[in-house]
Amino acid sequence: MDSTIAMYVAQFINGMAYGMLLFLVASGLTLIFGMMGILNIAHASFFMLSAYFCHTFLELTGSFWLALLLAPVVAAFFGILCERFLLRKIHAFGHIPELLITVGISLVILEGVKLFWGTEPFLVATPKTLQGFIWISDLKYPIYRVFIVGFAFFILGLMALVLYKTRLGMVVRAAVSDADMVNALGINVPLVFMLVFGIGTWLAGLAGVIITPILTVFPGMADQIGMDAFVVVVTGGFGSLIGAFIVSLCIGELNSFGIQFIPKLAPVLMFTFMAVVLAFKPTGFFGERE
Amino acid sequence: MRSKLYLWILWAAILVILILFPHVVGIYYTNVVVLFSIFSLYAITLNLLLGYTGLLSFGHALFFGGGAYATAIALTHIPGLPLIPAVLIGGLTAVVLALITSPLLVRVSGTAFAMLTLAFGQLMYVICLKFRNITGGEDGVGGFPIPPFTIPGVVSIDMTNPTNYYYFALIVVGLSILVIWFFTKTPFGQIIIGVRDNAQRVSYMGFKVPHTKALVFIISGGFAGIAGACYALLQNLVSTDGVLVIYMSFLPIMMAFIGGIGSFFGPICGAAILTILDELITMYTERVELVTGLVFILVVMFVPAGFTGLLASIKEKLFIKSSDQGIMEQAS
Repeated sequence: MDSTIAMYVAQFINGMAYGMLLFLVASGLTLIFGMMGILNIAHASFFMLSAYFCHTFLELTGSFWLALLLAPVVAAFFGILCERFLLRKIHAFGHIPELLITVGISLVILEGVKLFWGTEPFLVATPKTLQGFIWISDLKYPIYRVFIVGFAFFILGLMALVLYKTRLGMVVRAAVSDADMVNALGINVPLVFMLVFGIGTWLAGLAGVIITPILTVFPGMADQIGMDAFVVVVTGGFGSLIGAFIVSLCIGELNSFGIQFIPKLAPVLMFTFMAVVLAFKPTGFFGERE
Repeated sequence: MRSKLYLWILWAAILVILILFPHVVGIYYTNVVVLFSIFSLYAITLNLLLGYTGLLSFGHALFFGGGAYATAIALTHIPGLPLIPAVLIGGLTAVVLALITSPLLVRVSGTAFAMLTLAFGQLMYVICLKFRNITGGEDGVGGFPIPPFTIPGVVSIDMTNPTNYYYFALIVVGLSILVIWFFTKTPFGQIIIGVRDNAQRVSYMGFKVPHTKALVFIISGGFAGIAGACYALLQNLVSTDGVLVIYMSFLPIMMAFIGGIGSFFGPICGAAILTILDELITMYTERVELVTGLVFILVVMFVPAGFTGLLASIKEKLFIKSSDQGIMEQAS
């Protein structure tokens, strides 16, 4: 394999890894939006919160796997608290106050993180079992990024299984399309909301832990992926999981190859992509509503 | 008639206080008031979108920051650029930015609008960060010359003097607010309220809703740009983390909401409340935004009508007024 092809393959896997991570974050966001009609500005903050918890758990126990198990759960717990005690209380006021309160939550989380952990960045080491490289033909590639793709696919499969094969998944999908009807059928919709919010933040939390070994943990880390996730949800269509999946991968690859070929314009590419899609279809690729 | 007289006395008193202010307190508080006035204008331009037209913009820093950058860059590269054109360049750049973004924005509404504006705001942030040779990246543009206010042959006032700049900024902001206020009183101002309340009806009446939205967007953006230009002149430093960071988009929303988005002057109250809060918190902790965020959450939860809405409801309880008056008329 000559070096050009090797570069293409490496960039492709990089893009794939980022795209899958992005999907973990964006899927929660789009589910929450589809169900409650709220675009949760604080979503990426839970992603960051989980990364910080991961750092702390690692310092306490030294086990990455334990951190991977616990940190997202703790982040999801905070997410559920926010849903139960803030969002649910103002659900009756309409969408703008709901959106604004998530802005407030994101500010408080950001500043809370600075208060508890300080502003200097942390580095998290790659777990020992996943250090090193694999050879794809004669291309040397870090194992960890391949693990990210695999792990994200595993979670994705799990989620698809729950959503499409269980009764709970059926209720969730029904509530996404028509919450009032599901409520009328005697299902406790607020409880389903809380559950979906929890699962959404848990997914974002998983992404937050998985990404820490390849990224520094610092107070601004939510901004980049949060922005990308919003673009994914808008471009893919609000509430659409399939749209979010396709656009996540597209943006992952766009980022990866953009940085390789036109580093200065790489961040602009994503927005151009979104603008082009929205110019032709304002509801996004698979979106039915605004 | 009596209440009209009280109102005139109130306005005169405010005017006298504003004129005397820099001579009574020190330079520090003079600058705080300049900052407050700039943010009042900024919050009012946002409320023109949020309160009047019903469009929630999460990327208003695009205009504020765009105006600030334009003024700073123009002053750095054009030697001898006078003061007023420098401020106008800020406003015009923001108008151009609004013109560029509006074709996409006017087609969507609600959450999609909020997300698109957020994206444009972040796009501007990233662009200013990446094109270092023009914008200076993270360091920003600083140390540019602040031209004096000159009327050729008549007068030349040094603007590096905080007291002089205080008067200049107050006049620019005051005039801008006055223009926006008149704008909301025109028939067109009624149409944009119609767009908020029932866009379909406005459309049936023969007005083009997208064009209306675009025009409001351009006016709002332009004045936000002027606010940004004044901010650049005050700080003598414009950086991405100073004027384009997402918090700068959230700030006017919080100000407008805390003051009350239902009234024209609500955002000014909100700007005053947040500025005072800011000054108080900095005495105790560096984490100002933590307290601001908490206050904001509490306001959204418990006082959704904001400060002016709260006042109006208290007034209504104390002196039972006819309740068919809309919240708009009450406050303006």
